[in-house]
Amino acid sequence: MAEDFKEMPNNPLEHDKYAPKEFKVLGRRGITRIDGYKKAAGKAIYTRDIQLPGMLYAKFLTSPYPNARISKMDTSKAENLPGVRAVLRYDDPEVFGRRVVTTYGGCEDMLAGYAYFEGQQIGAVVAADTEQIAREALKLIDVEWDVRPFVLDPEGALRSGAPLARPEWADNNLNEVPPSPLSEVFRIGNVEAAFEQADKVIEFKAVRRYHGGADTELPCGIVRWEGDCLELWLHHQHPYEHKWTMHKYLGVPMNKIKVNAPYNGGMYGGWNWIAYSQIATGITAILAKRTARPVKWVFDRREDFVFGSADAMVTYFKVGANKDGTISSVKLKSFYENTGFWAETHLLENTRIPNIEAENVTARVNKGPTIALRCEQLPGCFVMAHVFNHVAAELDMDPTEVALKNDGAEGKDINYLNKFKRKHGFPLRDSLRECIEAGKKAIGWDKKWHPAGAKELPNGKMHGMGFIWSHEWDDNRGAGVAGVFIQQDGSANIVAFRTDIGVNAETTYCQVVAEELGMKFEDVFFRQQDDVYLPLMTPDGSCNLTTNSYVLRKAARKAKRRLLELATTEVHLIERNIAPAFPGMQPEDLEVKGSEIFVKSDPSKRKKIAEVVKDMDGSMNWGLEYAAIQCTTHAPVFAWAYHRQGRYGTEPGRHRLCRQAHFCEIEVDTETGKIEIKKIVNVNDVGKALSPEAVEGQQYGGTYMGIGRNLNEEYVWDPCSGVLLNGNLLEYKWATMLDIGEIETIIVETGMGYGPYGTVGIGEDVATITTYLLESAVFNAIGKWIDDGPITPDKVLKALGKA
Amino acid sequence: MKRFAHLNARTLDEAVLYLRRYGGRAKIIAGGTDVLGRMKDEIVPTYPEALINIKTIPGLDFIEEREGSLKIGALTKLEDIARHPVIKAKFSALAEAARRTASPHIREMGTIAGNICQDIRCWYYRAPNNRFPCLRKGGGRCYAIEGDNRYHSIFGASVDGGCLAVHPSDIAPALIALDAKIRTSERKIKAEHFFEVGVCKTNVLEEDEIVTEIEISQPPVGSKSAFIKFAARETIDFPVVNCAATIVGSEGTVQAARICLNAVYLKPYRVTSAEQAIIGKTISDNSVEDAGIEAVRQAKPLARNTYMVQIARTLVKRAVLACG
Amino acid sequence: MEQDKYLCPYCLITFESIQDLRRHIVAEHKTEPLPVSEGQIKLTINGEDYQIRVEPEWTLYYLLHDKLGFTGTKMFCDRGACGSCTVIMDGRPILSCMTLAIECDGKHIETIEGIAKKEHPLIEEYVKYHCMQCGYCTPGFIVTAKALLDRNPKPTEEEVKEALAGNLCRCGTYPQHLKAVLVASQKLAKHGR
Repeated sequence: MAEDFKEMPNNPLEHDKYAPKEFKVLGRRGITRIDGYKKAAGKAIYTRDIQLPGMLYAKFLTSPYPNARISKMDTSKAENLPGVRAVLRYDDPEVFGRRVVTTYGGCEDMLAGYAYFEGQQIGAVVAADTEQIAREALKLIDVEWDVRPFVLDPEGALRSGAPLARPEWADNNLNEVPPSPLSEVFRIGNVEAAFEQADKVIEFKAVRRYHGGADTELPCGIVRWEGDCLELWLHHQHPYEHKWTMHKYLGVPMNKIKVNAPYNGGMYGGWNWIAYSQIATGITAILAKRTARPVKWVFDRREDFVFGSADAMVTYFKVGANKDGTISSVKLKSFYENTGFWAETHLLENTRIPNIEAENVTARVNKGPTIALRCEQLPGCFVMAHVFNHVAAELDMDPTEVALKNDGAEGKDINYLNKFKRKHGFPLRDSLRECIEAGKKAIGWDKKWHPAGAKELPNGKMHGMGFIWSHEWDDNRGAGVAGVFIQQDGSANIVAFRTDIGVNAETTYCQVVAEELGMKFEDVFFRQQDDVYLPLMTPDGSCNLTTNSYVLRKAARKAKRRLLELATTEVHLIERNIAPAFPGMQPEDLEVKGSEIFVKSDPSKRKKIAEVVKDMDGSMNWGLEYAAIQCTTHAPVFAWAYHRQGRYGTEPGRHRLCRQAHFCEIEVDTETGKIEIKKIVNVNDVGKALSPEAVEGQQYGGTYMGIGRNLNEEYVWDPCSGVLLNGNLLEYKWATMLDIGEIETIIVETGMGYGPYGTVGIGEDVATITTYLLESAVFNAIGKWIDDGPITPDKVLKALGKA
Repeated sequence: MKRFAHLNARTLDEAVLYLRRYGGRAKIIAGGTDVLGRMKDEIVPTYPEALINIKTIPGLDFIEEREGSLKIGALTKLEDIARHPVIKAKFSALAEAARRTASPHIREMGTIAGNICQDIRCWYYRAPNNRFPCLRKGGGRCYAIEGDNRYHSIFGASVDGGCLAVHPSDIAPALIALDAKIRTSERKIKAEHFFEVGVCKTNVLEEDEIVTEIEISQPPVGSKSAFIKFAARETIDFPVVNCAATIVGSEGTVQAARICLNAVYLKPYRVTSAEQAIIGKTISDNSVEDAGIEAVRQAKPLARNTYMVQIARTLVKRAVLACG
Repeated sequence: MEQDKYLCPYCLITFESIQDLRRHIVAEHKTEPLPVSEGQIKLTINGEDYQIRVEPEWTLYYLLHDKLGFTGTKMFCDRGACGSCTVIMDGRPILSCMTLAIECDGKHIETIEGIAKKEHPLIEEYVKYHCMQCGYCTPGFIVTAKALLDRNPKPTEEEVKEALAGNLCRCGTYPQHLKAVLVASQKLAKHGR
């Protein structure tokens, strides 16, 4: 008890020391999700659904060219269209030449007079009575364009003489632009020397085509001024951060900005990180001020095809391996489109490969920005998958064996990792082996795996087995603050602000509080979308659970302490004293369970929490049952806590300990190039599953996103004009219900996460890694590499020499 | 959507009258799934002044067997066709084509006549706001020639030797394979002759002509039909290639055959050479292989779509096999 | 948008009343007026009658969501490719984004709000099986599933798959829907609803 309410300082490198031995609410199945009914019954309100009285609609002009500058613009016809209330031009003094910072740390023109990709929102914004009028008005804007040559491929963009993709800014080579984190070549060991020693050295190239988000709810936001106060409705993963950006853009003090965060339709990173997601709100605030009306900005579906994932890349590989399956050396050179991340991270964090050299080159091309889209680990997984696939094939080894041979961290083997686990208080489990064994069993690997191209089925199709692995991640970062407040009827609220992206977080947080406070799950509630100023960690980077559960656990334990103090403390009024619920007891003598407080030494002495926290002064009740704050006899039970979970990125020495392994069984129709996915097995060591259904939701759910990307998803641009051709959901093809066969999900719980209770995040893992699952299975089926995602039928037929 | 006038036609004559009065500036709306998409995106510079709703005309939604033929009203929904026991039993190519069209919702809305009258899906032609004023819109050129033509014609261009778009219907090849007839407000045309290519045109209908009924004769004894579709996804998508076949056989020998590919050319592409390759033969792995090869012998694939030739060849083979 | 105005189909000028429009057509266009739809429609939504004036270009989605406040019907692809805006019209699951409101005169429409109000077992099973993550597409799935169960109270797993195949879910909740719909159909059979 004594340490329950302490700050519980956590060494960021160590296992959670404060986990209870047994759980009552956490980890349980069958807990009703708090958002379930609202979402099923159509009651959940999204920003797109909201209309305010007198609201105008704002729409942005978009560039028809991939690289162009406005040389002349006449907006008079648009301004004169009935129903148009304001037109904001790029050369308006309030925005002209203004480059603003976004929470991503990036910088953008607030309203540019030029475009560096087709479809970019630039030039002018119209606010009108209806969306349709705004749309019509945009067509009435006469623009004279200075159309410039464009470049779409990253290697082409870096060749001398290539057109400048964004002349207003800088060179096409973004590595040269400070403060690029990628300007230096990453090196450990000595790759060249290791190649000399290796039994086998292989070289190959792999490509991942630009793919993107297109979230379900279209981008939008609403701005309303009430005098000098600003109120926002945001479809965004980082609503709280808007206070900061709006403060920066508009000079409004943060304490006068209220943010409403309705439910979000589809949010997987990506959109939130690109500048428009915040700048659009800033622009709209200017229009709202000028028109003295609430204004909602909206994109249509085509206009939402403005950004892509940061694994739009080409990588050249050189890999050295030994006959026993150990990989000795990997050299990478990667070219990224518009945003680069680190290609070597998973090899470094996950394996014992001692020699790694990675050059990451980012090129500006005339496509929309690319960004972490569930998530920034895509390049790492891309590289990891290709290295392991090719090595296993080249050595004629079972790929699961190759994985196990190379498990480790930062060039050191599994023994080193095991020492680390022991030293830092983690259970000593072999996560990768456990995942692989469970997955192999589920998919029947030992019976079904075969050499590449060796198994033709009676139906004429080629049978293939695929395998991929990596670590689990929660980015080990984030910070949050939250309170726990017990109402006078004994029910508890979490007091914090956060937005929802559908990961069942509000339910899980209530489970944490119920568990730690000794309450029934039903007695805890969280309306996370309310702006109550205390921001919990945003749903982001798979780390909100690992951060926020710490926050809530601390707050709940503090609240519990206050509750027990209240139960044992006499209240002094002027004329009399009121005895506590448990006279003569100390807080340490009591325990809470099932929303009841009882005496540890005599559990028959018990009172409901409601009995303890209600107004103690019966004299004010005049026989009526009511709770009134007007004259409550005691301070409410409220406690708050803060927690910082590491810092951005992996902290030095904080090795990733949990692993994931994914298996698939496919059939390839060699006469049409069609890949049929018979079965997928996802095995994730999440440390501890706090909400097992939510974990599984991320497993099968992420599989559809990942495999959908692997099979079909890519933006297609017209090579002659740079215009996006498939900016709609008919031609940009997400996976449907019929595109994947059976999915089996297996949860492994080794307790080796850095999060509370030994948990680790899972929100991004499966979608990210399964984006590269099929490469190995297709190779196993047809004996040919198709290192060019998505793996569409034309590529399969080409590999087979049939197209 | 931009403003337009909306008229409910109460009779076929009234609908024809409206079309005449508007002289090409009005469009028919039935299921709406094609025409509203075109209007929302404003893909052509001429926005219709009016939509003429023909769903208000009674007696165009039926499936019946009459005078030895199957008759399907123009307004019959694709879902009703896909589920109809007689069509499933005797005209399986049509039932399957209907079942594989688009998504369940679109099939509940889209009509059989709308499906065969639908506009093409070329992504240059369909780009919003007339971004590519192409040959089909009376513009100067086909943008797919040098552009991304992964879903374009493998049998060359049409419309004055230029347009590389393909016809997207799943129903059309089935109707041609079943030798259906299409009755309009003016005449009766063989399905095979219904499709015609031209600027802003996919069929022979005059400006004031409306499809009213599809008629298919009872299949001869010993005949079987089949439809096979290849698309990127199992549902929602338009075909990459599809193929319908009817085979009339007697004692294991093919007496007659009608095989039609679609999504490979600007109109459904009947492959008579493939039909010839199997007539008089038994359906076997060898004979269907020949049919597949013959079907694509004339193929002239573009830079990005050679894979479609292989798929077309396979589908011809499989459609014939499915009739065996 | 201009409300309560009547549009001439020939020249697109608007008039305050239908009589003015008729007079204009006779005078200017020298022809008998076409029976221009007046935009006054009557329809039943979730068992309740509505009489409302609509503009020709309004989709049923716009009428339901923006004008009548049935916000459970969601806009997502806006081109008939995702199933999120599904409502049941005269027994058929249809896409309200590709349906003109003006053509819904006399129709019976059921939205997610009506299904929830009836406490249809699908709602409970959807919650139980975590068929939602972000939840944006969820109503569209339930409406589609309801139309299936109305028509086919005891569907097989294959039939459920076929029926829901046109609904897209970016969160990938697909496997759960099959379970929820099958259990809901058993419950319906048991309770005779």
